[in-house]
Amino acid sequence: MNKQAKGNEIKRKLTLTAREDSYCLSFNAMASPCEVLIETESEILAEQLGRAVAHEVWRIEDKYSRYSSVSACSKINRSQGKPVVIDQETFLLLNFAEQCYKLSGGVFDITSGVLRNAWRFDGSDNVPTNKQVKSCLAHIGWEKVSYDQYQITLAKGMELDFGGIGKEYAVDKAIIIAKSLTKLPVLVNLGGDLSATSPRKNNQAWQVGIDHPGLVKKHSNDKLNSSADNSSVKKVIVSLSQGALATSGDANRFLLKDGKRYSHILNAQTGWPIENAPYSMTVVAPQCIQAGILATLALMKGGDAEKFLMEQDVKHWAIR
Amino acid sequence: MQLITDKQQGEIPEQKINIKAALTIATTALFAGIAQADTLEEDNWEFDTAFLLYSEVDRVSAGEVILNAKKTYADEEVLNLKLTIDALTGASANGAVAQPYVQTFTRPSGNGQYDIAAGDTPLDDTFHDTRVQLNAQWTQPISSDYTGSAGIHISKEYDYLSIGINGNLAVDFLQKNTTFSIGASYFQDTFTPEGGIPKPFASMLIGDSSAPDWHEDFAKTRIGTEDDKTTTDVLLGFTQVINRRMIMQFNYSYSMVDGYLTDPFKILSIVNNEGLAQDYVYENRPEQRIKQSAYLQSMYHFDTTVLDLSYRYMWDDWDIESHTIDSRLRIPLGTGSYIQPHVRYYQQSAANFYAPYLMQSDFESHRPEFASADYRIGEMTAYTLGLKYGMKVNNGHDLSFRLEYYHQAPTDAGFEAPGVLANEELYPTIDAIIAQVTYSF
Repeated sequence: MNKQAKGNEIKRKLTLTAREDSYCLSFNAMASPCEVLIETESEILAEQLGRAVAHEVWRIEDKYSRYSSVSACSKINRSQGKPVVIDQETFLLLNFAEQCYKLSGGVFDITSGVLRNAWRFDGSDNVPTNKQVKSCLAHIGWEKVSYDQYQITLAKGMELDFGGIGKEYAVDKAIIIAKSLTKLPVLVNLGGDLSATSPRKNNQAWQVGIDHPGLVKKHSNDKLNSSADNSSVKKVIVSLSQGALATSGDANRFLLKDGKRYSHILNAQTGWPIENAPYSMTVVAPQCIQAGILATLALMKGGDAEKFLMEQDVKHWAIR
Repeated sequence: MQLITDKQQGEIPEQKINIKAALTIATTALFAGIAQADTLEEDNWEFDTAFLLYSEVDRVSAGEVILNAKKTYADEEVLNLKLTIDALTGASANGAVAQPYVQTFTRPSGNGQYDIAAGDTPLDDTFHDTRVQLNAQWTQPISSDYTGSAGIHISKEYDYLSIGINGNLAVDFLQKNTTFSIGASYFQDTFTPEGGIPKPFASMLIGDSSAPDWHEDFAKTRIGTEDDKTTTDVLLGFTQVINRRMIMQFNYSYSMVDGYLTDPFKILSIVNNEGLAQDYVYENRPEQRIKQSAYLQSMYHFDTTVLDLSYRYMWDDWDIESHTIDSRLRIPLGTGSYIQPHVRYYQQSAANFYAPYLMQSDFESHRPEFASADYRIGEMTAYTLGLKYGMKVNNGHDLSFRLEYYHQAPTDAGFEAPGVLANEELYPTIDAIIAQVTYSF
């Protein structure tokens, strides 16, 4: 995965494509295909806006990626129990992560990334032992993190992973930039986590195809739901007027042992997968980061994922 | 594994607390750049306690205890209660000038006298007082962009009672990047000094205080037992977030004080052409003072340090003008600790009726309407140098220590020093040490 970070400099290209009444700018970031759609005739505006959005996304990737050795995240993860100076943006993100930790009762925890030392969801039957999981748990726990506006201190062996919120955060930041540059309708799609500034011209909704990793294999013969487009089984087409949409879950990432399926949705409190969780959950919310957290929290409810979102009156699509 | 599922299911009812709403608050905080205290931990009291020691060399010493309790309710309503108790003891300049011989003064109460050695600045060493002050403030959002606040104040000393009320309204604009506020307060103070209110420009009675007619004679220098004053303040504020690193604040205040503004304990020396004191008379000040001030503050967040810089310009209809420059630099040291150097510079011009002493010939031929030799309304410069060290202790509570040095230098506003006064220290400096310990939990 380190190649990813090193390759960024080369891979950072913007491709501008003219469509019928809009422009699409595509680029790669955060290991995903990304695109910005702008309903404009002006190529200059499209180019300018696309560039601004891409640079913001890349900036966030560089700052919060745990794969890049020079990121602020890696600096914190290498600190070995020493305090690390943080800026206001990081402070606010930590603050947000703390709220999510509390709202989830500790199940969502940005320090839980070290569990990957025990769990590798490669489709094999390589389920870790209780002991392996326990040794990871010793280095997990938001309550062990001390931070304030100026610095953060992690206990030795602990790590932060902004993977659960970073991409969604980048979508929302991109939307703020788009709104500051134009009043025309813009949609930002970072690998399926997306948000729109407003409906398209004539008040039409945006039609967006979302990749559901693993969906093709699992569900190619199933009838999904009314909004699915069965002519193209790779994508689920959803319509979005404005606001944001985010998806959690990856049906490709699991372990299978003795007929039991272990999903990659891990409970940060126990270190074990959540049972009966949907393969993926797609949620609509005003902001992408909210949608992402709601989707993740729902998956962590396991069999009650849909019930949880219905109770919260949240529009969603679950894939089981 | 089954246990995990049970736990998950068990949590659902209690999590019916509106997660969507809580997330909206958290998201708003994230993008508005506001640090969010807590969405869940409401109804908790937060306490700040502080002990402060202020000590002037050879003069006043004061000890102060502050207890601040703050409670935040579910709808962002905040109740703040603050109790301050301070004890003051020591000596304070009575306004008379030093002389090349021993001087005798009568105590403000009229009971007894005190002597001041040749060449010394006359200080009245009977100052001791205890003040208890209580403030209560209620702040609440009125609508999404409006915040209202109201409070009461009561302060009691042995010879002083102050009661006040205040109200404030703040309006946020432009995604809370801009805030306007308007506030007003009203105070009613009653002063009942020991020994009563002296008659303006009456001569201080000096002699045998155990003589049978002493009290009768002393009473002739008095015009009453108490007096009062009112203070009305209006404050306009403007706060602007410049960018992620910088915030600016501008305040304008208009303050009108009416009533007894004279200090009943202060006198002036009446000196002859040789500079020798012939008499001591009680001071007299106007019954109204209109004070205005403009204040500009900016906070700048560097990568690690935070600079807080402010400037205040104050002017009033007594012709006092003052400039204050204040700066603090917060330097984080790791694991929640920091040091904060503090530098403050203050410069003030004299009130138009300030005089370090009065010439006898002038005083007898055309007595001024007002006069005071109180160094606090004379021309002066002052500076403060300080250092604060803060640290996190168990459970994340804040503990901090502050040590400051204060130097005040009254300056000559162009008064001649006739005769012997040329050899006396007319503008003695004051040096003070301030030490404070604060603990928040």
